[in-house]
Order: sequence, then C-alpha cells, then structure tokens
Amino acid sequence: MKSKTSRANAMKKAIAASLAILILLAFTGCGTSSGSAATESQRQEDASATSGSLAEAKEKLNDLYQQENQIFADHQNAWNKAFGFMSKNMDDDTLNENYADFLANIIESNKDSFSEEEYATLSKDVETIRGIEEEIAKLEKEIAASDSSGSSSSNSADATGVFQGFKGKDLDGNDVDESLFAQNKVTVVNFWFSGCKPCVEELSKLNELNDEIKKMGGEVVGINTDTLDDNQDGIKEAKEILKAQGASYKNLTVDSDSTVGKYAGNIMAFPTTVLVDKDGNIIGEPFLGGINDQSNYEQLMKQIQSALDQN
Amino acid sequence: MDKKSNKNFLVRFRGWFQAAATLLTNPHIPNLFKGKLYQGKVKTICVPGLNCYSCPAATGACPIGAFQAVVGSSKFKFTYYITGFFILLGVLLGRFICGFLCPFGWFQDLLHKIPGKKLSTAKLKPLRYLKYVILVVFVILLPALATNSLGMGDPFFCKYICPQGVLEGAIPLSLANSGIRGALGHLFTFKFTILVLVIILSILFYRPFCKWICPLGAIYSLFNKVSFLKIRVDPEKCVDCQKCSHACKMDVNVVDTPNHPECIRCGACMKACPTNAICYHYGFSSRKQADKK
Repeated sequence: MKSKTSRANAMKKAIAASLAILILLAFTGCGTSSGSAATESQRQEDASATSGSLAEAKEKLNDLYQQENQIFADHQNAWNKAFGFMSKNMDDDTLNENYADFLANIIESNKDSFSEEEYATLSKDVETIRGIEEEIAKLEKEIAASDSSGSSSSNSADATGVFQGFKGKDLDGNDVDESLFAQNKVTVVNFWFSGCKPCVEELSKLNELNDEIKKMGGEVVGINTDTLDDNQDGIKEAKEILKAQGASYKNLTVDSDSTVGKYAGNIMAFPTTVLVDKDGNIIGEPFLGGINDQSNYEQLMKQIQSALDQN
Repeated sequence: MDKKSNKNFLVRFRGWFQAAATLLTNPHIPNLFKGKLYQGKVKTICVPGLNCYSCPAATGACPIGAFQAVVGSSKFKFTYYITGFFILLGVLLGRFICGFLCPFGWFQDLLHKIPGKKLSTAKLKPLRYLKYVILVVFVILLPALATNSLGMGDPFFCKYICPQGVLEGAIPLSLANSGIRGALGHLFTFKFTILVLVIILSILFYRPFCKWICPLGAIYSLFNKVSFLKIRVDPEKCVDCQKCSHACKMDVNVVDTPNHPECIRCGACMKACPTNAICYHYGFSSRKQADKK
C-alpha cells in the first residue's frame, strides 16, 4: 500500500517536472522560432519584391518589342522593301550598332529605291523605334543589375563589400588598409586557424600561388582567426606555423567586430578562400577546402584567371 | 525512494527520455535552416551521447570528436578533461547513456520500429569486439600517432567512419549552405554510404551501430560492472523462466550477467519479468546483495 502511494507520488512529481520543462521549452522554442520565422518571411518578401519588379521589367521589355513589331506590321510594304536590302549589309560592325541607327543607315543608303511617301513613313518609324530602343536598353540594364545582385545576395548574403574600408595589421604590427586591395587586380584572401590541419597543410601551396599570381598583378593574403584582435599568443603561433610551412606571403590580423572579423566568425568550414577586387568586394562564391588538392587548385586558378581577365 | 516506481517510470517513458535528451542536446533548431553552427560558450562542454559538434542545432561537443581533436592537436598529447568526463559518466550511469540519452541510439531505436523482417544478432556476437578495435585504433592511436610534421593528426573516426556526423552535420549543413554543398566530395559519398548501410541494418537488426561500431558505447561498456547504476536480479523472486534473456535485444543473459558490458539499461528485461525480480539499483549497496546471493 505504502509503496503504491509513494509510486503515485513519484509519478506525479516526475510528470509535473517534465511538464514544467516542456512548457519552458515550448516558450523558448516559440521565442526563437517565431523570431526567425519573422525574419525568414521578411526575407521572402524582399525577394518577392525584387523578383516582382524584375518580372514587371521583363513584361515591359516584351511589350516594347511588341510595339516595334507593330510598327513594322503597320507599314508592312515599305518595311519589307527596306528589309530586302539588309542581308547584303551585314557585318560585325553593323550588328553592334544601335538598332535604330542600323535601320536609318539602310534606309538612307537605299533612299533612291523608296518613294517619297515610303521614305517619310520609314524615317518617322525609325525615330519612334529609336525611342523604344532607348527604353529597351535602360530596362535591360536594370534587369541585368538586379539579376547579378539577386544571385550574389541570395548566396553569400551581405558578403560582397566585406573588405571595403579595410583596416588591420600584418603580423609584425604594421598597419594595413584598403590600399592593399586597390593595388592588386585581384587579392586572394585565405581564412585559416592554427589548429586546422587542412589549413596548415595548404600554406606552402598558397605561397606558391602567391609567387605565381604576383606576376599577373594578384596577391595572396592570409587571415588566421586565432590572431584576431591582435592576439599576441595567436600571432606568435601563427608565425611559427607559417615559417615551418615556408609561407612568406602577408598575413593580417583584424578586429573581431569589424566587418571582416564578423565575416570570419560566420565561416562554417575552414579553410575558406575568397577573391577580392580592387574596391574590396568579394567576387563570386567563397571557395571551401584546401587547394593542395589538384582539382581544387585548378578550380581556384580558373576563378582567379577570370577575375584577372575582367580587369 | 522506492526502486520499483523508479524502474517502471524510466522504462515506460524511455522513448520520451530519448526524445527529450535529443532535443536538449540540439536546442538550436533555427540554425538548421540557416546552415550555421552555434559557437557559444556551452559548445566547449561535452554531451553524454554521440551527437555531432557540427550539427547546426547542437549545443555541446561530441565527447568522441573532442577526444580525437585534442589528442590529434599539436599542443596536447592526451586529454585529461575528456578522459575524466568518460570516467565520471561511466561511473555515474554506464551504458544507461546509450539506452536513454544518446540521440543516435534513439535514431536506431526508431528505425527498428519500421515493420518488416527482423533478424537476430545472437550469432554475430564476435562482431561486438569490433567497437573496441575502432576505439583503440581510430579514436586513440591514429589521431595521436598519424601526424604531420607539426604534430597535427586527423580525427580518424569522425572523418572516415561516423555516420552520425553525416546525419547531423554534413546533410543539414550542405542542404542549407551552398558553399558546403559545393565542397562535398568522395569522402562524403563514402560516409553517406556508411550511413545508408547503418540505416538499413538498423531496420533489420536492433542497434547494429551500438553493438559493433560505437567507440563511445565501447568506453561506457567498460564501466557497466562498476557503475553506480546497476540492474539487480532478485534470486528469491526469480523463477528461472529466462524470459528476460529472450526479451533482451542486446543478447545479454540477464540472470547470469545483469551488468554485462553490452547491456544498455533499456529495461526490456524488467518489462518481461513475470515476477518483478529485475530492477534498477543505484548506489553502493549492490555488493551486499551479491554477497547474500
């Protein structure tokens, strides 16, 4: 009898305790998850807003093309006559010029073949088309811009301008600022830490890479996350490792609450290597994993090459 | 404290304990969608079960992973903190951790609930010793000895074997993080195959990973005999029906060896016992019982 009541008591206590824990968990769970849900939905809204305007722009573009076609249809006879002269005049230069100019040239050079009335309508149409072409060019630019910003923001979030206004020191305590990036066509920034075996093992390869791309106007720079905030113990260890691995390229320390420091703090996998342009913007996607693997090295080289070619 | 109520309660709600333990070791659920790891202060503490440090939701470190990381680092030769942690938990709970607190144990329990043909592991008992080999070779020797010129080793068990790392770390991280997804290579394919194999085997067999592979279970198993937490069979109540040994999915002869290294303290034998002769016992006094016997 006694054991039964004590059992029931123990059960009640345990149930009460577990309920309390569950309620607590439910609250904390709600707090964090609803918070994140809010930001998530906001992000989606942003995305849909940009994609909405994008869709709008594309529709407008389509509409403009239709308007042009309508013009050709309205004065079909005259335009067909004009189109008849085209095939003979095609070369690269004419393809690259403004479409309205291109049409105007054709009409102008074959002026004699058109009646006066035809010539007048064609000239008028060309001017209308010129207006439309201008709008098309503007829209295409917009779409291209929002496309590229969309893809970079969706993948690496707020990562592009990380090295703008850069301030840090090299491991000997000399100040380094954004001019480091400005003087290079492309800067390869490698994030690593002293206890990371793959990071340490690729240091000599990075040194080779530095020697190689120096000739082409590039540079390799390392940031060891153990050296952030001028941590002297970390700097000493990093220097020893760099020396042991034969790496003589520049390594930098930054403040952990600077944009670069925060970027480094958010890296989930080391080593991570990024390419930075003259203005301190990260180009393309961050590169994960050691480059002492041949295929990784080639892939990184390809990225560097394309960055160099763009400059 | 009445031991019988204790036993019934624990055993009856074992699934809930496992769920709660899994949630408590992985409370940072939103991180799963962000593809980020929690990196706060608590992460330096080890959790009792096999729970990957690289799980975005994880709040602590896997003791097996931490052990390899310290042993394999250039600064340390041995890790007293984690070894002490193993001894402490081993003495306090032993393989009760496997049965009640380990998320990967729960995962296998759930997989085994999938209906279908179930196979016995009784004839595969020699495979049990594989986990001790894995413990010694992949967790202790290789990380400590297979080092580069700077004295740095790889966490061999985590890197080449552990399916929990793929399940909790690689899969959610690569789903949410495009950079990590791009970096997946042959090693991931290899370990993903191990995970698939463990999943298939877990449906057919009961807890194959715990029985044959898990180095953490291997460590805790060494403490089952000396742990405060024991299972006691009352010889006066026992009628030698052997129902308990047939109920035991870890292939333990409960009456003869209630504190066998393979026992994960799940309590299936207690449920099966018709005379309530089997119960948990916590504390020092078990010796008296043994003497009496």
